[in-house]
Amino acid sequence: MGHKTFSHAKLTLNSNQLSQGIAGVFLFMAAFLMLGSLVFPTNAKASSVRPPANATINALPENSSPQPAPKATGGFVPGNTLGNRSQTSFWKSVRDGAIGTRDTMQAFPSPLIQSQGQDWRYLRNNYISRYGGWLLIGVTGLIALFYLIRGRIKIKSGRSGAVIPRFSLTQRVVHWFTAVLFILLSISGLILLFGKHLFIPLIGKTAFGVVASASMQSHNLFGPLFIIATLTMFFVFLKGNGFKLVDLKWALKGGGFFGGHASSHRYNFGEKAWFWWAIILGITLSLSGLILEFPWLVGTNMWPLLAGLAHGGAALLMIAFAIGHIYIGTVGMEGSLEGMTRGSVDENWAREHHDLWYQEHNKEATGDHPPAKAQAATSKG
Amino acid sequence: MSTKTSAPTQTAADQAVSKFLEYTHASTAAYFDACVHCGECAEACHFYLSTKNPIYTPIYKLQPMLKAYKRHKAPLSSIKRLFGLVPEQITKQELEEWSPLVYDSCNMCGRCTLACPMGIDIAFTIRKMREGFVAADIVPGDLRQSEKNALETGSPMRVQAKALQAQVRAQEKDCGIAIELDKKGADYLVILSSMEIMGYPEVIGSLAKIFKEAGIDWTISTKAYEATNVGIQIGSWDTARTLVQRVVDEAEHLGVKYVISPECGHAYSALRWQGPNLIGRSYDFEVIHIIELLHQLTTEGRLQMKSKNGRRLTLHDPCQIVRRGGLVKEPRALLNDVADHFEEMQGAGITNFCCGGGGGVSANSRAAKLQASAFECKMQQFNDIDGLELIVTPCANCRTVLEDGLEEHDSPLEVIGLSELLAQHLDHRQT
Amino acid sequence: MTFLEFVEGPAWYVAITIFTIGVLWRFLGIIAIGRRTDMSAPKGSASAGFVKAIFRHFLPRTIFAERTRVHILGGYSFHLGLFILLFFAAPHVVFIKAHILGFGWPALPRWAFIIAAQAAFAGLILLWVRRICDPVMRQISDWDDHVGTILTFLVMLTGCLALQESVEALRALHMLFVNIWLIYFPFSRLMHAFTFILSRGYTGATYGHRGIVP
Ligand code: HEM
Ligand code: SF4
Ligand code: SF4
Repeated sequence: MGHKTFSHAKLTLNSNQLSQGIAGVFLFMAAFLMLGSLVFPTNAKASSVRPPANATINALPENSSPQPAPKATGGFVPGNTLGNRSQTSFWKSVRDGAIGTRDTMQAFPSPLIQSQGQDWRYLRNNYISRYGGWLLIGVTGLIALFYLIRGRIKIKSGRSGAVIPRFSLTQRVVHWFTAVLFILLSISGLILLFGKHLFIPLIGKTAFGVVASASMQSHNLFGPLFIIATLTMFFVFLKGNGFKLVDLKWALKGGGFFGGHASSHRYNFGEKAWFWWAIILGITLSLSGLILEFPWLVGTNMWPLLAGLAHGGAALLMIAFAIGHIYIGTVGMEGSLEGMTRGSVDENWAREHHDLWYQEHNKEATGDHPPAKAQAATSKG
Repeated sequence: MSTKTSAPTQTAADQAVSKFLEYTHASTAAYFDACVHCGECAEACHFYLSTKNPIYTPIYKLQPMLKAYKRHKAPLSSIKRLFGLVPEQITKQELEEWSPLVYDSCNMCGRCTLACPMGIDIAFTIRKMREGFVAADIVPGDLRQSEKNALETGSPMRVQAKALQAQVRAQEKDCGIAIELDKKGADYLVILSSMEIMGYPEVIGSLAKIFKEAGIDWTISTKAYEATNVGIQIGSWDTARTLVQRVVDEAEHLGVKYVISPECGHAYSALRWQGPNLIGRSYDFEVIHIIELLHQLTTEGRLQMKSKNGRRLTLHDPCQIVRRGGLVKEPRALLNDVADHFEEMQGAGITNFCCGGGGGVSANSRAAKLQASAFECKMQQFNDIDGLELIVTPCANCRTVLEDGLEEHDSPLEVIGLSELLAQHLDHRQT
Repeated sequence: MTFLEFVEGPAWYVAITIFTIGVLWRFLGIIAIGRRTDMSAPKGSASAGFVKAIFRHFLPRTIFAERTRVHILGGYSFHLGLFILLFFAAPHVVFIKAHILGFGWPALPRWAFIIAAQAAFAGLILLWVRRICDPVMRQISDWDDHVGTILTFLVMLTGCLALQESVEALRALHMLFVNIWLIYFPFSRLMHAFTFILSRGYTGATYGHRGIVP
């Protein structure tokens, strides 16, 4: 088309700038979240407009170091409270999940008080956050190691200049919509899970309270959108993500990541695994998230606790895989990102990474941009 | 603006820029400021649709003029300049690179305006931007040549008065009706496009028949017979004015009540809508499009159709007459009178595709390949109509462009002008 | 003076002044450029066309639906969501009453606020990701598009982070971004919120005069 060499192409962003830009945005957001809390730590007090909705929770005065609890003598709790007699047998039956009835809310008998929250807290703090933290650090380390050893996977035969359409505009829009939400949720979620270990020593409890409140609000806000995104992504990317025999071979050959060639269709084993991983965990996150946000949806008090554990666990597993996905989609492999930005990939990239798919679609290869007729190829999958 | 007049190349760019600014009226400024870069306009443009090349996004074609506006004229641009936030100076090289976008890839058809959420009139802005390219003399050679021809001989195809007379005589013989040239005091003055005079002279005979039937007192001038206006296409106010002035002078000299704009899209726009603004005054006569007149005659009962055409036919809407000229119902009413199987194509009427040859593109051989590719959109519309046999269009330029395109596709489809078709079905009461 | 008092006080007044003067200056500046009166004989009313076009272009034409679908979805959910938030969020109503108009109106309940915010966020993200992955939009986008989007996003985000309404720091952060956004507005493409009237209107007038409104 003669105009390819336009000097004014500088108006547009290339994918490198783009990925830097995206990263920049989120780094910036994370930074100001922290900054916000650093700059105004002491200003955190009740709003002047109207009292907080849950003022009772937030009204803990600053530095109110809890009074040392007075000792109970002879089974009597000091002070003039109702039921000030500690009844061991009573609390034992609570611990055992005693069933009772009440006049409102529920017609059938169920536990009125339960202590599983203790177990929940134990599991969350000792397993999810500890092992989850190690998981993320480990995955990041492995990827860094991989990068040091293998470097960026280049297009071996160089760029051909001809491109094949790979992802339709709908697929691209849905992908990035999901990705943006996922990242927003990851940041806020990780702050909620690890924040107290990371931030409290750095910025103090009050400031962290601000960060945590902000994270919680944004997490609750974006969560429902992520459910829609996950479901849409399932339908938009389903085609071509079914497992086949070549995938086993691909996996056995280590995906060709450590040398050698591994054949694959439109998606290789790794990508298919990521698809199902993201969808199954995404649905887990969605359901557990809904339970956490609307606990009255489910009857007994057990569910929110289980949901909490599932939510944290699934999130960490998904983030771990996502780190790998993002790595291979950007720095890790030359020529991948443009499939998701411009919608088309270099012919040689296709031949080297998705040979079977390439053989079906190489006829659609064209100059520098996808032509009208090639549009059909994207929907064929 | 800073006028660095040292290097000659800078001068050309400067001249272009001052024209850009001169033609940036409030409407243009509003367009530039309101565009949200949504790219919706691309979805309407056959140049983008047939190539999928994003440089054919309509608003992108206006970039140089937009840059000049943002640098020199936009409100608050002086504050932005303090922070270095205005676009760079435009260079001649840039304009040269843009020339194919400005001249080859826009028919000034106005379809993109319909898709634009901001209602931006890109077609008219392209028309204005071409003024700058003319000032910098960065114009396709063919258009320059047509302009020269038109100014020298009155016709972009160098059709001389003698040739016109010969064609008129031949048509008189064919239809057996005398046609009086240069008749003073006639009610109607017919002007034509060179394309009609040389390529489709039957049009003259058809008009003679129709006017005789309706009892219309008309004439053709040997001094101002050319209706087309290359000044509008190339983007030269001066040329456009000169050419319009010729017709106006002659019409007022002959003392006609009406000038009939022929079956030619941009000729109608040139005389009817842009003309009075070009010459700076309104006319002593009225401009009426041939379709308007025919519609008026049939509704008044002065023309009657005796038979109907049995072929499956469709109407191609010339952009300047329909979308930008406002004559949407008239051609359809006329066609329904004479056609048994009149089938509309997808998007018919105001959202119809351009033939791909408007706005000087068909006269510009540099654009031939691109034009052929843009024609794909039109061809698709025809292919979508089952059993289509005939295409009717009230524009001689569309007609040649369609005929050429169909020939490329080895298509058996035929194309005919609307008046010509009507003339075939006239009910001759007097004869 | 606390930071909150600063961003709700002096900074706010400076920002809103720049915003008001800038928007007026630019809007009137465009009109002041002027345009020729059309001397051709009219076939319809230019002023009626002006008004009609403003409304006509709210409705996309179905024939262009392929591309417009995402934009209709994203565009409408973002803009409607934003307007609802802007004028009916409880803290905004209180702020407008206290700082601008002196009177207020009924505000949205919290759940409606959340839904409006989600619609606005979904729309904005949709529009922005489209901008980065559509070749046409990449071709015509410039830094202003991205800065405008991101600033708007940050204004909305900080607003929602402050949802608990219990922490001054978050509210101050929100106000800070509001002020930045207000100052940026008149110099940027965000002006389309006002100039759309002119651009649609002028086209409507041109063609209304010709008896047709595209
Ligand atoms: C900002 C971070 C991300 C980047 C840079 C990125 C990059 C990419 C790239 C380049 C591809 C195309 C690979 C190919 O050509 O085969 C892709 C595919 C895909 N991505 Fe992402 N992605 C990101 C985040 C996400 C997230 C968070 C999710 C899920 C929640 C996701 C889900 C998918 C899916 C389902 C595919 C389709 C291919 C497949 O089935 O494996 N991506 N991504
Ligand atoms: S006026 Fe027609 S040819 Fe020109 S850019 Fe718009 S749609 Fe394309
Ligand atoms: S459709 Fe209109 S607003 Fe959108 S990019 Fe094109 S000209 Fe600009």
